[in-house]
This record gives sequence, structure tokens and C-alpha cells, in this order.
Amino acid sequence: MSKAVLSPPGSIVPLLGNEAIARGAIEAGLDVAAAYPGTPSTEIGETLAEAARELGFHFEWATNEKVASEVAIGAAWSGLRAMCFMKHVGVNVAADALFTLTYAGTIGGLVVVSADDPHAHSSQNEQDNRHYAVAMGLPMLEPSTPQEAKDLVYRAFDLSERYALPFLVRSTTRISHTRAPVRLGEIRERRGKGKFKPPEPDRYVQVGAIARKHHRELLEKLSRIERELASEFAEVRGGSGELGIITSGVAYTYVLEAARAMGLDVPILKLTMTNPLPAESIGEFLRGLKRVLIVEELDPYLEERVKAIAKDTAPDVEILGKAQGLLPRVGELNIKLVVGALSKVTGKPSPIDFGALEERAKPALELAVNRPPVMCPACPHRASGYAIRRAAGSAVYLNDIGCYALLFQRPFNLGDVTHAMGSGVGFANGISLATDQKTVALIGDSTFFHAGIPALINAVHHNRKFLLVVLDNRITAMTGHQPHPGVPVSAMGEEVPALDIEKVVRGLGVEHVQIVDPFDFKAAENAVREAMKHDGVSVVIMRRECALLTVRRLRREGVKIVPYRVDPDKCTYCRVCINTYACPAFVDTGKVVEIDPTVCFGCGSCVDVCPYGAIEPMEGSLDWRGEKIGV
Amino acid sequence: MASDGSEFNIIIAGVGGQGILFSSRVITRAALDSGLNFVQSEVHGLAQRYGSIKTEIRIGRDVVSPLIMEGTLDLLVALEPIEALRYASYVTDRTSIVMNTHLVAPIGAYLERKRIPKVKEILEVLEALKPKRLEALNAVEVAERAGDIVVTNSVLLGAVDALGVLPFDEGALRRALEKEAPKKYLELNLRAFDMGREEILKR
Repeated sequence: MSKAVLSPPGSIVPLLGNEAIARGAIEAGLDVAAAYPGTPSTEIGETLAEAARELGFHFEWATNEKVASEVAIGAAWSGLRAMCFMKHVGVNVAADALFTLTYAGTIGGLVVVSADDPHAHSSQNEQDNRHYAVAMGLPMLEPSTPQEAKDLVYRAFDLSERYALPFLVRSTTRISHTRAPVRLGEIRERRGKGKFKPPEPDRYVQVGAIARKHHRELLEKLSRIERELASEFAEVRGGSGELGIITSGVAYTYVLEAARAMGLDVPILKLTMTNPLPAESIGEFLRGLKRVLIVEELDPYLEERVKAIAKDTAPDVEILGKAQGLLPRVGELNIKLVVGALSKVTGKPSPIDFGALEERAKPALELAVNRPPVMCPACPHRASGYAIRRAAGSAVYLNDIGCYALLFQRPFNLGDVTHAMGSGVGFANGISLATDQKTVALIGDSTFFHAGIPALINAVHHNRKFLLVVLDNRITAMTGHQPHPGVPVSAMGEEVPALDIEKVVRGLGVEHVQIVDPFDFKAAENAVREAMKHDGVSVVIMRRECALLTVRRLRREGVKIVPYRVDPDKCTYCRVCINTYACPAFVDTGKVVEIDPTVCFGCGSCVDVCPYGAIEPMEGSLDWRGEKIGV
Repeated sequence: MASDGSEFNIIIAGVGGQGILFSSRVITRAALDSGLNFVQSEVHGLAQRYGSIKTEIRIGRDVVSPLIMEGTLDLLVALEPIEALRYASYVTDRTSIVMNTHLVAPIGAYLERKRIPKVKEILEVLEALKPKRLEALNAVEVAERAGDIVVTNSVLLGAVDALGVLPFDEGALRRALEKEAPKKYLELNLRAFDMGREEILKR
């Protein structure tokens, strides 16, 4: 967290959108927040975790998004102000709780944040969660800047209490991960302790007739919200002429700059509340125009709804956007794309000849070899992958969500499938049932707790035969090292009971369970070989802490990280190290392999990979396996 | 968009783990302390794991979009030479480039037997884009002389400062580094900054 988040009211500080969201909740008097980490939402939690210690409210990293939502809902039903937040796909996990929540309503202010990831920068899909708001009957606010993100979250708490409904604030990567100056407001007093007292006896009991009654109430609330909040959350910005633009979220910023770059002074309708849509404001905006360009990321959500509104209010207005291919449905928008659309619509030339720039850049781009993310130097997953590849050989590999998903890449090729949290174990159930193929599922420790357990229970109960390797690096690593139920500290730094994965697995009825240090290649390989022979579901836990944690601890302790080196006289340039272990510290000079000292963490795990013993420590290099560092 | 000095657009590119987010924070801190508005976008999560990463920083009264439009880049800072290449379509005669010459080859390129460009070639194609200025230095080597290669990013910040193109007052960037650097490594960072600056000024 940047220290800036807790600066005094009135100060203007540089905040990441996610920090601004956290600050907005803190200013609103947040009592309880819960989440499961997921990019691009994680820093909301990192910020709250640190602030919670200082200010005394509660924040926890929950087992998964559904549980996180239920923690927040329970607190809000007890009259406290609560928030849960998650990445877009996290809403899929939480959806079961959230759908019925809008029937139940809330007493304490309850804000749900969905951080969507157009372009799938760090996600398995580009799903557009605005559809959820409609399906759930959840009022939705969309900020365009970090400042708005803070202000809207703050406002959403009050509105949630006014309408006794949770409010959704939808962010996207370019809001959540944008840093900008934010003016801070006063921090309201918290409520502290709540009391669970339903406003009516059947308020939280959703069955049959009661659910239908609550459904009707929800629809009434939504029409009230549409009427009463339209003027606050639908803003027309300047301009004149027959062409207008309707936009929302970060797309609004691209529209402003694209219009300015083209010297266009067009009226812009900025929609901050995108469910329920303020139909009357939209109709009024349309009536003065001949053509309207809809600028939004991902699905034509606004476009289709504006069309429906126009049919009743301004049937002659031409609605332009994705339907004409003016803007893409895949990936993010940017200024250039909006300039392109405006140029086509107005006939005005683009102020910059993008084609010429691209043409000129070709020789440079041709040289720019790709650099996809790879596992870090010293990463235990690389060692696990190496051992599994050697021991299990050809099999169906069901990978999961985490850094280890990168094992799908060469040279490991351990990822026929990477799909959704915990799905690898579920798919292993189906594939081992449907085929006679050897089946290996891989799952991380945090993902195991999140969604792996029910599928493992299913496997035990149905006598499935496959190997589950738990890649236990003692943390939720991919999102930046958040604790999970297997770690003895909470998000707020309290000492808490840690669940032992081995005991959990044995408790579920798995009979063949082994634990190894993946840096001990022989032991790891043997464990996999033995487990594969077992007639039933078997589990190998490969346990070694995330290398980034180890390196950070060593540095904190003042231990200098000394890399390993390759003896050029012993190196035969067989490239076995690169071709089977692929640590990013290896450098291929064309004659020998070297180790880049700026990349190597000095773990020494690659020593055993070299058939010629050419990799050796330097003076002061550590031996992580031998010295039991990181296990 | 404007090249009239009303906005200043920066891309910092490199490999995950090179301290790009830190360098960005120093620059935005300097902007804020100079009373300037800014917007900066960054990428977190899996993409950071030794993959290509970049941040985009925009400084100016009216900037709102977190992303820069091609053709409007004022400064490209590359912590790794291959990473400089990716933003070639942003470069025009208003762009200054500061590039670290220490090349980190993507391990995947070895596995797929792809050709890895030489630093000399990279400099040639960048030069062909006719940037306003192109300065290349081995920042790793300078950082090593300063005391530790972990401050390579501060060497480059010093080199950037020496160009005199940033829309800040004299000394603002160094003061921002003083504020943002962890206390324990403050001296080391400042030394790296000064040496990076010197490296350019003596040319």
C-alpha cells in the first residue's frame, strides 16, 4: 500500500484506482471487508489489510469469493458497513450468493466491487460483468478515473442504505491499475459492533411465495433508483451539432481525448449509473441528435439498450457502434481506436497517420521477439514441473489457475487444460472416467482451498484413479503473496490456525499421500512414480515456499544474494539446462550457456540438471536445498 | 496529443522484476510535487513474472486517458533493449529514448530457436525512427559500480534527468527519488541516480 492512502482529508495524493476504492470505503466508515485475491482487484485488499491494522476495522482474505461475499453480507445484515470485491471471474463464484442477495436486500451499506479485465491481461476470459448487474438486479456505478472510483464507492454506501440494496461498483483494469492524483475526504466513524435483527421475520428467507414477493419489491426499488438517481449519474458534457457520443467508464477518458485531438466539440453523455439505465435522460439526449456513437469496452451493452430506448423516444436517431464494426468487441479501447471510429463517422481525417507510423516501425517490431511471462528464477514450480515431466511422462495434464499455469509452456508442456479455479481436479474426475489415459491434475495451495476440495471429495467418493499434485508454495503467489487458509497469519497480520493440506487430504479419504521438496528432484520424481502406480486417487504435495518470499527474507536478513555460474571449460553446450529446465537466468551465447547474474537468485536448483557438472556456486552462493532454505 | 508542451507522455518498458513500477512512482511523485496533473497506468499480476511489462505516464493539465496514443510519445525509457523495440510505433521526432544496453533474452526464444537481436541492431532500427534523442548506456554496469545491480532503475532515472526534457524543475526528480526510495537503500539509490546522470552529461 502506498502510505498516501491514509493521508489527512483535503490532501491530494497519488493513488492507484484500487487504493482509491479502498479509501472510499474507509471514508464511508467501512466496518468489514472480505475478498479473495484476483487481478485486477487485489490492491483493494492489500490497502485495506494495512489500513485495518491502523484504523481497527476488519479485513480478511477469505477462502473464495462466495465465502468473502457471505462474510460481507452477514456483516451488512448485522447493520455494519461492508464490502466485498473480486475480479470479474470471481463474481461467477460469488454469483450464487449475490443473485438472491438483491431479493433479501441489506440494512448496513453493502458494496460489491467487480474489477473486470478487458484484454484479459491477467485472466482466463474477458467476460463483461455489466450483464450480471442486470441479471441480479444490482444497481451499478462505473467510475472513469481513480478520483471517481473513490467518490462512487463512498456514495454507494449511502445509497445502499437508502434503498436497502447492495450496490455494485464496476471497475476495469485501466481504472484499478491507473494511478492519478486523488483528493481525500473526511473519514466517518465506524459502527464497530452490529446486531443481527431482520427488519421483517421473512426478510432473509427466500422460498417460493416469499421470494416472489421480494422479487416484486426489487423491481420497484430499481425503478425508484432509475427515477431518483438519473440526474446524479447521467451527465451531458458540452458540445453542439447533430452527432453525439454516449459512453461510460474508462472509455469516457478516451472519448474526451480523441474528440480533443480531432478538434470535435460534440455533446457527450457520460453514464455513471449503468444499471438501471436512466432511460429518460438517454431519451432526452437522443432527441436533439441525428446520430449517436456509443463508445464502450467489450459487449455492446449500452449500444443495445440505447437502441431499445431510442425506439420509443427518438426512432429516427442512428445508433452507431459495434454493430457497424466501428469499435471492437474484443480487447481494450484506447484513444487511437476512438479516433478511428470518430474519423469514420465524421469523415474528418485522423490527426495522426497511424498507418505510416506502423509501417515505419516494422523493422523494429520484427526484431522484437516475444517475451511471455515465465516462472521466476528459483521458482519451486519449475522444479516440480521438471520432476513431474520426467516421472509421469505422457499423460493428460489438467492445470489450474496460478503461476504454475505457466507450466503449459515449453519445455514442460504440463497443461492440456487451464480453465477456472479448481477445474483441473473436476476435469480429472471426468477424463479419468471417460478414458484409460493417465491423468494428472495440478493445483496450487490457495486454489486447492478455494475450489479444489469438492472435486477431490468427488474423486474419492467415486473411486477415480488419477494423480493430484498440490504445488504448495505456502502463499497466494500470483496476485502478490496474500495469505490463505494454509498460512498461519491473517491478512491483518494476526496469528491464526493454519490448515494442513496433508491432513485435509487424508481427512477426505485419500490413502496415498506424499510430501516432497521439489528441489529434491529424485525424491519428487520417485513420489510421482509411486503415486501413479496407486489404484485410486493419489496426492503428492510438492512443498517449497515461493522464491520471491525466500529472496525477500534473505535480503531483509542482510544476506547477499550471490548467483551461480557456469564453468565454461566444463560446459559442452549441450543445452540440456535450457531445454529441460528453462530458468530465465540462462544465457545462450551460441558457444556456451552462461548465467545472467542480474537474473539468477542463487538457489542452486539447476546444479543437478547439468549432466556435466558445469554449474557451480560462487563464493558466498547458498544451496537452498542443502541448507533447507525455503522449506 | 499536443506537442506544444501542454502534455508530456512517457513509456517505461522492461522485464517484470526490473523495478519499473518503482521508477514510475518516482516520476509521478515528481510531477505531483511540481504541481502537475498526471495519469499513469500499470500492469500487475501474472504479467509481471519476467514478461514484458510497461507503464505509461502522462503529465499535463488536461490528460485523462491512462493510455498514450501512438505518435505522441515524448520519452521512452527502456530498462532492457528488446523491450524498447515494442513501442517503435509510438516514436516520432518528439521522442527521446533512454535505453539500458544490458540485454535479457527471453528464455522462450531459446527454446523456440528464435533469433535474438544484437544490441547494435536494436540501436540501428531505433535510430532509423529519427527520435529527438537516443541515449544508450549499460546501466547494470553503472549500478554495479554504484554498489548493487538492484538500483539499475535509478541509474536510468538519473540518465533521464540529465536529458532535461522532463517538465519538472531542476532537482525535482532527485527529490522524488529521495521520498520514494526505502530508507535503507536511499544512499545507494541516490548514488546510482547521480552516476546515471553523470554518464549522460559527460557525453
